[in-house]
Amino acid sequence: MNRIFTGALVALCLVAQSAAAGETPRPRNAYLYIGWPQDGTVITEDEFRVWFGLRNMGIAPAGVRKPNTGHHHLLIDTGVPPLNEEIPNDKHHRHFGAGQSETMLELPPGRHTLQLILADHEHIPLNPPLVSQKITVTIR
Amino acid sequence: MPRLSTCLAAAFVATALTAGPAVAGSTPAPENAQVYIIWPKSGRVIPGGKFWLRMGAKNIGIAPAGVKKKNTGHHHVIINAKLPPFDEEIPSNKNYRHFGGGQTEARIELPPGRHTIQVLMGDHEHIPHDPPLYSERITVIVPPQTSEAGSTGTAQ
Repeated sequence: MNRIFTGALVALCLVAQSAAAGETPRPRNAYLYIGWPQDGTVITEDEFRVWFGLRNMGIAPAGVRKPNTGHHHLLIDTGVPPLNEEIPNDKHHRHFGAGQSETMLELPPGRHTLQLILADHEHIPLNPPLVSQKITVTIR
Repeated sequence: MPRLSTCLAAAFVATALTAGPAVAGSTPAPENAQVYIIWPKSGRVIPGGKFWLRMGAKNIGIAPAGVKKKNTGHHHVIINAKLPPFDEEIPSNKNYRHFGGGQTEARIELPPGRHTIQVLMGDHEHIPHDPPLYSERITVIVPPQTSEAGSTGTAQ
C-alpha cells in the first residue's frame, strides 16, 4: 500500500514537473548568462550596456520557429515567471524579439536585479527552462 | 590650380558613388548597426588555443540563415583571411566559418602561432549587408605547446 502511494506520488511529481516548462526542447548543454555587467557591479553612467551570453544555441527572432534557437528576455527586479506560459511583457519583463544580443538599459538609482531567460518563438520558456544566474547591480 | 583640385575631387566622388552599389549586397543594414568582437581583445595570448569567441552586434538582431527578417543577419568568422567580396555569398571553409544557427558565440580551436580573427555579418543568403557590417580584425597568439601543458591540441 505504502509502495503504491509512493509510486503515485512520484508519478504526480513528474507530471507536475513536466507541466512547469514549455514544449520547445533545447540542447542539454545550452548555457545562458549575463556577459556584462558582473554581479555586484556599481554603475555610475545614466545608461549601461547589458550583454546577453548564450552558448551551444542560437538566436531567432520572435515568431521564427527553428530548432535549437530562442530569443532573449530580461527580467528586471522580478522573479522567474511561470515556466509554462508566455512571458509577460512589461517593464519588469523585457522582450528582445528582434533577435538582439545586447541592450542599453537605464534604471533609477539603487539596487536592481537582472536575470535572463530564453524563450521560444511564442515567448514560452524552453524545456528544460534556460535561465541565467540572477545578478545584482547598483546604480549610483 | 584650386579649380583643378576641385575638379579632381568631384571626379573622385563621382567614381566613389558609382563604385558604391557594386561592392555590397542588397540587404540594407540598419542605421548605426555595428558588429564587433567582445572577447578576446586584440593581442590576447591564449594558452592551448581553445576559446569561446564572443560576437557583438549593436542595433541589429540575429536570425538564423534562411530567415528573411528586416534588421537581422547572422555572424561569420574569418580566420587568417581577408574580407571576401561584399556582393556575393561569403565562402564557407575553414577560413570563413558560418554561424547560421544564430549563434552569438563560436568555439574556436587554433594551433600555436599568430592568428587573425574578424567577424562579418551576412544576410539570410550569407551576403554582406549594405553597407557591410564587419568587426575590427584582431590578432590572437597561441603559445607553443610545452610538455607539461598536457596532450590537448595538435602539435605543429
